[in-house]
Formats: sequence, structure tokens, C-alpha cells
Amino acid sequence: MPSNGAPRAPPVPTLAAMQDEQPPLIRLRGVGKSYPAAGGAFHALSDVTLDIHPGEFVAVVGPSGSGKSTLLNLLAGIDRAGSGELSIAGQDLRALPERELSRWRGRAVGVVFQFFQLLPTLTALENVMLPMDFCDQWPAAGRPERARALLERLGVADQADKFPSALSGGQQQRVALARALANSPALILADEPTGNLDSVNAEALLALLAELAREQGVTIVMVTHEAAALGQVQRSLRLRDGRLVEDRQHG
Amino acid sequence: MADRRHLKSWRDLWQHRARSLLVVLAVALGLTAAGIVLDAWALVERATDEGYRASLPVSATLVLDRADARALALARAQPDIAAARLRRSLMASMQVSGRTRNAVLVALEDFQQADIARLRAESPTWPPVGDGLWMERSSLDFSGANVGEPISLRLPGAETRSVELMGLLRDVSLAPGWMENLVYLYGTEAALKRLGAPAGFNELQVRMRDDHPTRAEVRRSVEALQARLVAAGYIVKSVDVPEPGEHIHAAQMDSLLMTQGAFGLMALLACGFLVVNLVSAMLAGQTREIGVMKVLGGSPRQIGAMVLAQAAALGLLASAIAVPVSLWLGRIYGGLKADLLNFPLDGIATPAWAVVLQLVVGLALPVAAAALPVRAALRRPVGEALRDIGITREGQALSLQRGALAARLVPWLGGWARPLLLSVGNAFRRRQRMLLTVLALAFGGAVYLGAANLRSAVRGSVDELFSAQRYQVQVRVAATSATRLQALAADVPGVAAVEAWRGLRSSIGSEPLTLLGVPAEGRLLTPRMMEGRWLAEGNAQEIVVTRLLQRQQPALTVGSRHRIADREWTVVGLVDGGPQALAYTSRATLDAMAGNDLATSIVVRLERPESPIALLDAVKQLRDSFAEAGITVAGSQSQADGRRVIEDHLLMVVDFLGAMGLVMIAVGAMGLASTMGLAVLERRREIGVLRAIGARDGAILALIQVEGLTLVALAWLTSLPLALPISALLEVAFGRIMFSVPWRLVPSAGTAFGWLGLMALISLVACLLPARRALRIPAAQALAYN
Repeated sequence: MPSNGAPRAPPVPTLAAMQDEQPPLIRLRGVGKSYPAAGGAFHALSDVTLDIHPGEFVAVVGPSGSGKSTLLNLLAGIDRAGSGELSIAGQDLRALPERELSRWRGRAVGVVFQFFQLLPTLTALENVMLPMDFCDQWPAAGRPERARALLERLGVADQADKFPSALSGGQQQRVALARALANSPALILADEPTGNLDSVNAEALLALLAELAREQGVTIVMVTHEAAALGQVQRSLRLRDGRLVEDRQHG
Repeated sequence: MADRRHLKSWRDLWQHRARSLLVVLAVALGLTAAGIVLDAWALVERATDEGYRASLPVSATLVLDRADARALALARAQPDIAAARLRRSLMASMQVSGRTRNAVLVALEDFQQADIARLRAESPTWPPVGDGLWMERSSLDFSGANVGEPISLRLPGAETRSVELMGLLRDVSLAPGWMENLVYLYGTEAALKRLGAPAGFNELQVRMRDDHPTRAEVRRSVEALQARLVAAGYIVKSVDVPEPGEHIHAAQMDSLLMTQGAFGLMALLACGFLVVNLVSAMLAGQTREIGVMKVLGGSPRQIGAMVLAQAAALGLLASAIAVPVSLWLGRIYGGLKADLLNFPLDGIATPAWAVVLQLVVGLALPVAAAALPVRAALRRPVGEALRDIGITREGQALSLQRGALAARLVPWLGGWARPLLLSVGNAFRRRQRMLLTVLALAFGGAVYLGAANLRSAVRGSVDELFSAQRYQVQVRVAATSATRLQALAADVPGVAAVEAWRGLRSSIGSEPLTLLGVPAEGRLLTPRMMEGRWLAEGNAQEIVVTRLLQRQQPALTVGSRHRIADREWTVVGLVDGGPQALAYTSRATLDAMAGNDLATSIVVRLERPESPIALLDAVKQLRDSFAEAGITVAGSQSQADGRRVIEDHLLMVVDFLGAMGLVMIAVGAMGLASTMGLAVLERRREIGVLRAIGARDGAILALIQVEGLTLVALAWLTSLPLALPISALLEVAFGRIMFSVPWRLVPSAGTAFGWLGLMALISLVACLLPARRALRIPAAQALAYN
């Protein structure tokens, strides 16, 4: 009891503590991936075991060829693991047939690419609505409003009716992020999202991603070479030669 | 707001509008070619169905010694006969403006009789009355006559008389007069009598009550009527039973249109190749976008539907262009065909099913062509698609620029050798696309060469037919002593040789047969034997049949025996004979049968056969000589005229097939242009690198053009063996339509190399735009990532 007799406020749980109590969103056990090559199989990933909890903002770092993009592709279901277990939100990805994988991916995962990959013949607004059209989770009448709200949230609502060719790199990446959020996925995967941005835009984007993870509980896994990113993330995973060599918590 | 998927599809089509337009043009071209044939066939089918059946055609014609009211009554009394009429027809010689034509005069008892072989008035003056004559409309241009003006007519055994041409009529039961080289004239019995024809009628025509009798049923009915007529004292000289319900040229027209339809389908196929290439290229450019859409949640079915919807939209646009054009051109072409059958197309509309079929094919063709490339694109793993930067999935080029070949060529071509060999090897980088482009071009070329072979075969057949006829003029006369006829003709200056022939119209069973009696050892008719032997002097009751007659009456095989004119005859030989269905026998045999040497025609070889003036002179002098001797000339024809008539309407068939070949070549050329355009687009960076290392405009231009010429050379080499089966197909089909022609499977060197030259020109033109585009690519392109 405190000295003045007032009841003690319960302790504020740390994010880490909260995350430890929830089951992991992403679960890898002994995951490996190899590709055939002229001189024999190339092991892009070997025996990777890790858990990522909901709301974590995780950076995947490592030198070129360490397996960062391969890991991201496996998490997105773009490639299939050669060995081990991989589940996201309880879904074993290896058990999903190809035709179901797209559907699952549209609803569960949002992907942000290094080179934006906006469709050039659709406006910014239309690009954001496209995943909604594919997955049919939102009523058709409400899609434009939702898309505008997402663009507004990311500070590019005034660019809604422009085509990607008329947008700057930073603006395109924000639109791409809005698109990734279109179906309210639990997981965002970002492959070098700042790789094509100047430092100002890069910093702004990282701040946005951190805010999403912090305030909306979106789990974000980001491959990056950006040193400044480590200041924004809660955790970093270091890969070398396809192996997880370091798993570090950050501030 | 439209679904974004639809928006993306339409906008993608617009962004790549050049390519989209090419797909539309390719489909439209193939659809138009096939549609013209389909629409023409549908129109002609409808016209002949409605027109011919509506005319209530004659089921059988009996030639009697006399045809009168009693004979008519006997026919009408037979329960299975619905209608009957009396007729007289005879040959005459017509002269207009100094031109002599063979004519058939027809007298009917009642021109307005509505229950058999209806005639249609084509002039205000109707029906035929008085002394004037009416002409079948298809003979008008050919005759040189004008309605309201007099024509001169001479019947056998009568004087030349002038008679007014009062009007025109249409008789759909006849082949067009210009095709048969005949002028059909109609008049009353009185009008013909005034011209010197015997009084009364000599033909009894009947129509069966059953709307769809078989030929056997008609024959049975006619045989019963024949028996009644004979019992009543009539002499039945001959019976003609045509195939029920079918115009005399209908089978040929069907075969012709079916054959052309087959080539219409081939044109569609060639377009299909082109569309596959274009759609593959479209998808290649969208590989990464397809990968992105899969990442965004698009299922293969959803994405596939987007692409197939684009293909369907292009098909719809192509149909919107092709259907009206093919309806318009199909009507024109159908009109030409219907004219060949002497049918009007007025008031006949293209049936709705033909339009619907074209629309369906127009939609289905690009969708079907897109299906396989779409499937391949969708099956590509997402990761691989996302890594695509536009220059992937190419096979190995052929490495020709190193090694022995290059070493040999460098001294000749200097610095050009390696770049040129590189260009040739590049043609093999996209093997599927190369194959489809080469096949589309090769198909068109093979049809073109096949049509050239057929033309050559037809000419060869006509040459052979006329080379067998070693005379220049044939004059038909009223039956006259052969000896006298030959003596008179031999006296005419400029005549080198003469032979008198005689004809006999008879039948085998109820099938009509014309026997032509010629000197067995004569020298003015020497046809090439296909089987058996020619007539032998001293051998009686032998016949040699033509191939067309054997096709009409398959029992007439060499060695077979048949009863003709109350005697047994043996078929001893088979000759080509072209479009003539005849049986030859020795004139001596017919003389012996008749107990006289009366001839009905004379053939004449001239001393100067190549001179048209000598020919005209000889014809005039022969006619004058015969007239002076009191011999009636029924008609005359020069070999040159006869050959022209045959060639004209044979080569019309061939020329259409050639036109189909040209359509397919146009499609192939579009394919080549699109392939080279895509090649330039895909190799922007490569061309940029070449620029960066010093390649000048000439080198870049040569790079593109040589690659195009390589594809053309491959297509040419492929088209040569492909032309063999296509030539065979065409020649067999032509044989069914018209008459068999000698095989010509190998094109002449001139034709083959002429085709190569044409294709090379096509390549240079087709590659011009892509080559110019390549010249605009800067060296900096080599450094561009995206």
C-alpha cells in the first residue's frame, strides 16, 4: 500500500511483456530454402527458427545474398519453403494450395516493394482499391472512402487522382503502403521500402511504419540496409549465408 | 465507379493501342476472309433453295416424235405427276451486228403456266405473244443484241429471218447463257413456226407430286409414263432425268464454296497464329504486373479473366469491323456466284445464323488464341514474375558469329560478317514466336504457290484438251453427205484438212448420252489416252469415253459393255476430254447403223492456224460455200473462242483461291511486322549497348532487316514442301468442282523465286517501322534499369 493509503495502480505492461503473452503471429521452425544452380543447389536459407509476435516492428538485415529477400518471399507465400514449418496467424503455408495462397495473401499480408510496383494505368486511389476488389472484404460502395482515408492517413490524399508517373518516389511509396493496408492485414512485409527514396523521405516512411506498428498493432517485417531503420524498430534479425546469426531487441 | 480490374484492362489496351490495333486488324482480316465465303455461301444456298424450289423445276423431259394434248393428258393422268407441259427446243444460228452465236429456241404452250418450271418476267412486255422472241437475261450481253431491235435467225433447213427481240425473262433452270456459249430465245409455237421450225411441240416435261423424290423414284415414274406413251403410239426418243431439287451447277457451286470455306478457315488459323504471338507479347510485357496482382490477392482465375476479357473486347471490336464488311463483300461475291447459277439475290437477306456465327468466332478466336499464353503466364511462380525485367525466358540465339562460318564469310563481307551472323542467330531467340511467325507466312505462301500450281494445272489441262483438237473451226450443219461436205470444205482456200463427224443423241438406260462419230484413223482429233486404246478402224460398236462422262456414269469403265441404241457397245478407252462429257465412236459404225453417211458437223484445219484474219475468212467462205450448195449451217465455233470460254470461268475459280493466298500473306506480313516490333522493344538495352560501343545507323538498320529476312527465308523454305499437300488438295477439290486436272505439285522456278522476292519485299516493308524505332534508341538506354 502507498504511504497515503490510496490503492496502487496496476503496473503498465511493456510491449515485450504483452507480446510474450500472445501466441506468435509468425512461427518458423527449421525453415530452409534451396534453389537449383549450375554448380549444385544454392542454400538461400538454412534451418531458420524464430517467432514474431503481433505488433512487432522487425528489421531483417544482413549482407547481399544472406537470404533476407528469400525470408520475406517465404513469409509472403511468394516462394515455398523447402523444409521446416512455417505458419502465419495459425495458417500452415505449406498446406495451402496455390489457388488459395493468393486469396490468403490478399487478406492476411500487405507487401511493400522497393520499386513501389504501382500499376501504371491506375491512379493512386485506384491502386489502393485494387486489393479490395480482388479480396472482396469491403463493400464495393465503401471502397473509395476507405482508400481515401488510407491515403489521408499517409499524407498523400491530394495525389489520389494522379497516375504513378506523376508522383515522386516518396509519394509513390506512401501510396504503395496505403495499398498494402487496404485489406487491413495483420502483417506488412516491406522489402527495402526506403531503397529508392532520399534520406528525408526514407526517414518519414520509417516513422510511418513505426507508428503503424505502435498504434495499430500491425506486425511489420522489413528487409533493410538502412542504418537509420534500426533506430525505429523494436527488433532486428541478422542473417548471414542463409542462417539467423543474431536476434536483437532494440530500445 | 467501375471495378478497378476492368479499368486496368481497358486502360492497358489503350496504352498499348498499336499492339491492340494489330490484334484487331489480324482478327478482322481473318474473320472478313472467312465471313465473305460464309455469307456468300449462305446467300447462294438461300437463293437457290428459295429460288429454284419456288420455280417448281422439271423432274423429267421426254423427247417424243410429237408432243400434243393427248400426251399431256396421259402425263397429267398419272397420279404421281403433279404437272406437265409441252415444249419444243431446237438449235439455231443467230446473227447480231455481224457476230454469229449459237442459239437455242424454246417454244412453250403456256408461258404463264404456274405449276411447272416457272419463268420470271424481266421486262414490261409479258408474256411472249405474236411473232417476237424473248431472251433469257443471262444471254443478253453475250449475244450483243438489244431489246426492241431485230436479230437474224436461221434454223436448220430454213432461210434466215429477222425477228424482233421483245423482252427478257429469267429461267432459273438454265446455266447462264454466256457460260454455255449459247443464246436462249423463247417464243410462241407460231413464232418458231414462222422461223421455219416444225409445227407443234416435241417435248413433254413433267413435275413430280412428291416435293422430295429420289432420282430412282422419278425414273420409275417416267418409265411408267413412257410405257403408256408407247402404248398410245408415241415414239419416245430420249428421256432426261436431272438430279431432283438440284440446279445443274449446284453441286459444283457447293464444292467450290466448301473449298473456299476451307481456305477461309485457314486464313482464320493464320490469324490465330498472329494473335497468339501478340497476346504472348502483351503478357510478356505484363509479367511483373501479373506477379504484383497475385501478391495483392488476385487469384489466377481473376487475373486470367482480366486478360481474356481484353482479348474478348478486341475480338468484339474486330467483329464490329469484319461483320459489316463481310456482309457487304459477301453479297457482292454471292451475287457473282448466284449469277453463275442464274439466280437473283434480290430480296434475299443473309441469314441471321451466319451473322451470329461470325460474331461468335470473332469473340472466340482471340480468347482461344490467348488461352494458352495466359495459362503459361499465370503458372509462372510469383517470385520469378516479380524478378522479370522484360528480357527473360529467351532461348539461346544461334552462335554463328564465331567459328568456321564466320571465318569463311569475313573475307567476303569484311566487318559486316559478324554483325550479320549475329542478326541471323537472333532470329532464333524467341523460338515459339519465331515458329508462329514463320508458320503464318509459310501457310500463306503455300496457298499462293498452290493456287499458282493449280492455275498451271488448269492451263495444262486446257492445253492438252485443245492440243488434241488439231483443227481450228467446227461448223455444225443440217445432216448432209459426209463426202459432199468434205469436198466442199476442202475446196475453200486456206483449208489444209477436213473431217466430217456425226452425232447421235441416245441414252444408257435413262441417262442421256451423246455419241460423237469421228473417223477412227482421223488426224484432226488425237486425244491422249488415259486408259485403254483409241478406236480402231474396222471395229464396230466400240466407244471411248471422256473422264467427265465416266464420272457422271461410273459404270462406263474400260472393258465394260452397255446397251445403247439397241446395240451392245464396249468401252475400249478413256480420255481426258476436259469439261466435255462425250463418248466417241467411229463414224463408220454410226453410218452403218443409219444406213447412210450423213454428217452433222465438219472440222477444219487451216493452213495458217495462227492468223485470226485467215480464220475469219475461212469461216465466212465455208458458210458461203455451204449456203450455195443448199447446206444449212446450224452454227460454227472457232477453237480459240471455245478455249476462251472454258478458261475464263475455270480461272475465275483459281483466281479466287489465289486471292485467299494473298489474304493469308497479308496476315503473315502483319505477323512479321509485329514480331520485329516486339523484338526491338525487348532489346532496347541491347541496342543501346550496341550504340554505346559504336554501332551506326546502318548497322542497326541491317540488324533488324537481316533478322526479318532470316524469318522470311525460313518461311520460304517451309512453304515449298507445304505447297505440295496444299496443291494436291486444291487440285483434288478442283477436280470435284470442275474436272480433273493433271497433277502439278511443284511450282516452277520462276513462281518459287518470284514468291521469295515478294516475301523479301514484304519483309523490308514490314520491318521498316521497327527498324526506324530501333534507330531512335539512344546509347543511354543501355544504362536504364526499367
